[in-house]
Amino acid sequence: MMKTGELGVKTTTLEKALEWGRSNSLWPLTMGLACCAIEMMAMQASDVDISRFGSEIFRNSPRQSDLMIVAGTTNKRMAPRVKRIYEEMPYPKYVIAMGVCVIQGGPYVDGYSVVMGVDKVIPVDVYVPGCPPTPQALTYGIITLQKKIRNETDR
Amino acid sequence: MYKIVSDEKDKVGMRVITVDKTDLIEAMTDFKNKGYYLTCLNGNDMKDHLEVIYFLHNFDTNDYFAVKTSTNDEHLPSLTKLFKVAEWDEREQYDLMGIIFDGHDDLRRIFLPDEWVGHPLRKDYDLKKVQYVNMDSEGNEHVSFDEKEGS
Amino acid sequence: MPHYTELNIGPVHPSIHGIFNFKLILNEEIIQDVKVTLGFLHRNAEKLSELNLYADNIIFFDRMNYIDAMNMELCYLMSVEKITGIEPPERAQWIRMIMVELNRLAARLVGMGSLGLDLGMLTPFFHAFKEREKIQRIFTEASGGRQEVNYFSIGGVYQDFTEKIINDIRNFIDQFKKNLEDMYNMFIHSEIFWQRNQGIGIIEPELAFDYGVTGPAIRASGIPYDVRKDAPYLFYDKVNFDIPISHQKDNFGRFMIKVEEMRQSIRIIEQSLDKINDGPFFNPQGKKSLMLRIKGNGEAFSRVESDAGEFGVYVKGDNTTKPYRVHARSPGLRNLSLLPVISKGLMIADFIAVVGGLDPVVGEVDR
Repeated sequence: MMKTGELGVKTTTLEKALEWGRSNSLWPLTMGLACCAIEMMAMQASDVDISRFGSEIFRNSPRQSDLMIVAGTTNKRMAPRVKRIYEEMPYPKYVIAMGVCVIQGGPYVDGYSVVMGVDKVIPVDVYVPGCPPTPQALTYGIITLQKKIRNETDR
Repeated sequence: MYKIVSDEKDKVGMRVITVDKTDLIEAMTDFKNKGYYLTCLNGNDMKDHLEVIYFLHNFDTNDYFAVKTSTNDEHLPSLTKLFKVAEWDEREQYDLMGIIFDGHDDLRRIFLPDEWVGHPLRKDYDLKKVQYVNMDSEGNEHVSFDEKEGS
Repeated sequence: MPHYTELNIGPVHPSIHGIFNFKLILNEEIIQDVKVTLGFLHRNAEKLSELNLYADNIIFFDRMNYIDAMNMELCYLMSVEKITGIEPPERAQWIRMIMVELNRLAARLVGMGSLGLDLGMLTPFFHAFKEREKIQRIFTEASGGRQEVNYFSIGGVYQDFTEKIINDIRNFIDQFKKNLEDMYNMFIHSEIFWQRNQGIGIIEPELAFDYGVTGPAIRASGIPYDVRKDAPYLFYDKVNFDIPISHQKDNFGRFMIKVEEMRQSIRIIEQSLDKINDGPFFNPQGKKSLMLRIKGNGEAFSRVESDAGEFGVYVKGDNTTKPYRVHARSPGLRNLSLLPVISKGLMIADFIAVVGGLDPVVGEVDR
């Protein structure tokens, strides 16, 4: 829309409007499990500042949030609890898997107590690789998720 | 009086003395009376026997040394009556190494679920037999070898 | 007959940074007992260290105390260098010392920021992370990594310090001195912060000895125990710095110790930057092409003063390229084991402050 000063009107479908609203007001759940949690905090803090993209309000209750950033190694004891917290979140809900541990086990892949990827437990929308990913990478992950919500393809 | 079996230095230059399992409590009581405190303990699986290294530290003289003892039957006397550090450290060694400390009031697993099979830091622990953990609605954890029953 | 309530905190809880489970037994709001459950981040680092090469294991130690990665690496490498016989040259030692102290600053900043968050002060968090980001940039310049740096190698460091890095550190230190005081004033001029931290979580010296508590917690109990002074490693005997102690024994004392130690860290970095010499930055025996063949024999236990306290690593080699056994002495585990004792009789809100003040990092507690 051009900024002409006149009152502009744009026609859209209700679905599109909902998607637009949803994508720009993601409320992430603080699901910091390990090292990646610090980088998730750094993303929220002053240098990278995720609030520019409409998701600065980190909620602590699963019932108030619609995005779960699984930040850090999920081990076998933690996985059922992650699943339960995921189930407590209301629909529509999205999951970002942050870091290689959450994607496939990472450096701990040969061991006995780490789950080989959190997608064995809950469905994942966006994977952000890195060990740990930089805050910028996670920001990119969130933007990718916003595009996914708006049904835009990334081409 | 306890007998010191051997007295040597490790690569850093720390003194390592070895005592028999039967002398352990007596030796530790003696060190405690001299002002030493337990800082850490560590189990080694030597394939034919298990050995445990206790690290002691004296805050007044700033002396740091290690006491080593070994066992053939997985049992060792617990030091929880002498040092409170031992409470969690012995649980950790029981959990991961499978050393049973006699006289410990609360010898449970500390990191792994109670139903876990085997002690992972043993050299004969089979990493190929993957165990899966699941939790019921009450919060109780269940361990199984079946992939379908957990993650 | 008193009426008891059970309250579950964790594993995922906004006020407990890290994934622990605390089961509080309450009489009205007074805590009678705390049951701690660990193991939600047990990542089998000790077992994996037995399956990998000496040089490969550094990454597991990075991720133990993930906010203080340099100290963890250093401690593991000190043990490994002893049993493999590859000693680092002098310049590498100075570089390590500067990096370790910078990382200590970064770790303390995270600790300060999150203590503020726990107590409902949001502002210091943003200031702390702004400063921390500058340290991360220096780390990125030197190693390529931001947080889990993997910078030290057996017998030295991966990359030499350039003139630019040294200038960056100098510039950072110059402005950080003022910013640290600003941040400190933010805490200290808050009446709420005083009231919420004073007189809670009192650790008597005898209790600290018995439970193996080290680090800021024991120094706040009036015991001047610091590994850097009592068993100097690197070149800590060649620089001047003081060990602050407090006789308050409470959460407030621990906070004051942490801030004062940051000032001492700045002193150490400044002196090290002046004293750093030219020369090789790694021992040729430990270079990358030989990494597959490094063999260790014997056993070694070395300890460093990490952010949380005395961190020690025991390594045993059996003349192969992989360690026979690796064990880490975690300071956070000891601090946490004291929690049920010191939190008796506290309110729930005070309990949160005590946990924030002890600052356990779950990666190193569970390993």
